[in-house]
Amino acid sequence: MALALRDLQRAVPLRRARLRRALEALRAALGVQRFAVGVVCVDNERIRQINRIYRRKNAPTDVLAFPFHENLKAGEIPQPAFADDYNLGDIFLGVEYILQQRQENEDYYDLLTVTATHGLCHLLGFTHSTEAEWQKMHQKEKQVLEELGQRLGTRLQPLSRGLF
Amino acid sequence: MLQLLRCVPRALGTAVAGLCVAAPSQPLPRLLQPASRLCARPFGLLSVRAGSVQPPSLLRPRGPCACGCGCGGLHTEGDKAFVEFLNDEIKEEKKIQKHKSLPKMSGGWELEVNGTEAKLVRKVAGEKITVTFNINNSIPPPYGEEEQPSEGQKVEEQEPELTSTPNFVVEVTKDGSKKALVLDCHYPEDEIGQEDEAQSDIFSIKEVSFQSTDDSDWKDTNYTLNTDSLDWGLYDHLMDFLADRGVDNTFADELVELSTALEHQEYITFLEDLKGFVKSQ
Repeated sequence: MALALRDLQRAVPLRRARLRRALEALRAALGVQRFAVGVVCVDNERIRQINRIYRRKNAPTDVLAFPFHENLKAGEIPQPAFADDYNLGDIFLGVEYILQQRQENEDYYDLLTVTATHGLCHLLGFTHSTEAEWQKMHQKEKQVLEELGQRLGTRLQPLSRGLF
Repeated sequence: MLQLLRCVPRALGTAVAGLCVAAPSQPLPRLLQPASRLCARPFGLLSVRAGSVQPPSLLRPRGPCACGCGCGGLHTEGDKAFVEFLNDEIKEEKKIQKHKSLPKMSGGWELEVNGTEAKLVRKVAGEKITVTFNINNSIPPPYGEEEQPSEGQKVEEQEPELTSTPNFVVEVTKDGSKKALVLDCHYPEDEIGQEDEAQSDIFSIKEVSFQSTDDSDWKDTNYTLNTDSLDWGLYDHLMDFLADRGVDNTFADELVELSTALEHQEYITFLEDLKGFVKSQ
């Protein structure tokens, strides 16, 4: 199924092919290649609007996830009855915000990959409201990024590290 | 010619007779009068061009024109009102005109304008990149019928700003090569005016083909890659290829600004030409 990548912003010139390569590898590491996913790259203003509307937080952020399948248990792979339901949902990447948060020694596309991993885990039911939930999510992100390292030669740390 | 002229009123007469039968109780003159007025202008033209026997006085111009300028041309009250309307419209359009001269594109693009067609040219490291667009029919209709102002509402307050979003064609030619890679690019059509909900790329590539730089005509016999069913990975590489040559989201935004300014400029010129045409003999 398709991985739909959209770039709706002008703030950061993006290399789409490089980002797609990382996202495709992430889908494979998560074992969800059969599922469609939308990844939408937006600027601070757009992600602030979405954050305000859906989370009542009037500030830009790094990633927002909109799962297609609600109430999934953390890590549960959906079992759709219909072909159209082979869809995980959409994640919005605040690419401008992510660039602004980047440390000097960090690679921007690595940071995008780590942030997308976090968003994709949210699409699969992972959350971090409690320490127990966070531990599960952090573990999954770590595992996925390690697998990604074997595929792409990267050494990335989960976004959710140190949340609790 | 004269016979034809005579025939038309007879044909009208027959039609009128039919109307009489269909609606005997209705007063007929109101139906008949507009028909005769519609015929007046063609009859006059025919008689002048034919250079034949002078038509009856009904068809002959009555000396000087109605507006009193003495030119003998057809200057109707309608034309006069039309010119006044155009004067107001031109004044208004000039008042809201954002750019008195066309805005410049960043990135070292050179602009050539030929009527409604604009060409942007840029040369980088052994390549020539040409972007062409035409401003005709480039303003999408306003979104949502229900948002049209109702009668009596102030239109000025509701009128959305018109934006020209033309399709544009990017041609990339390598120095010394006789073929150009041609990418047909579009702005999203269905989401103009739905800015908040839009999730389409700012522009997209629709078709890709090679064309010869020698032929001026587009060859449909050359293979054309349609991106509707294209592998997404390949599509992203094509978008990156364009971005490397200066055709990215920022470029697409600036092109909208340029195209909108050119469209507005051409619209004002058209209104001025129209005014001149209506005024002239």
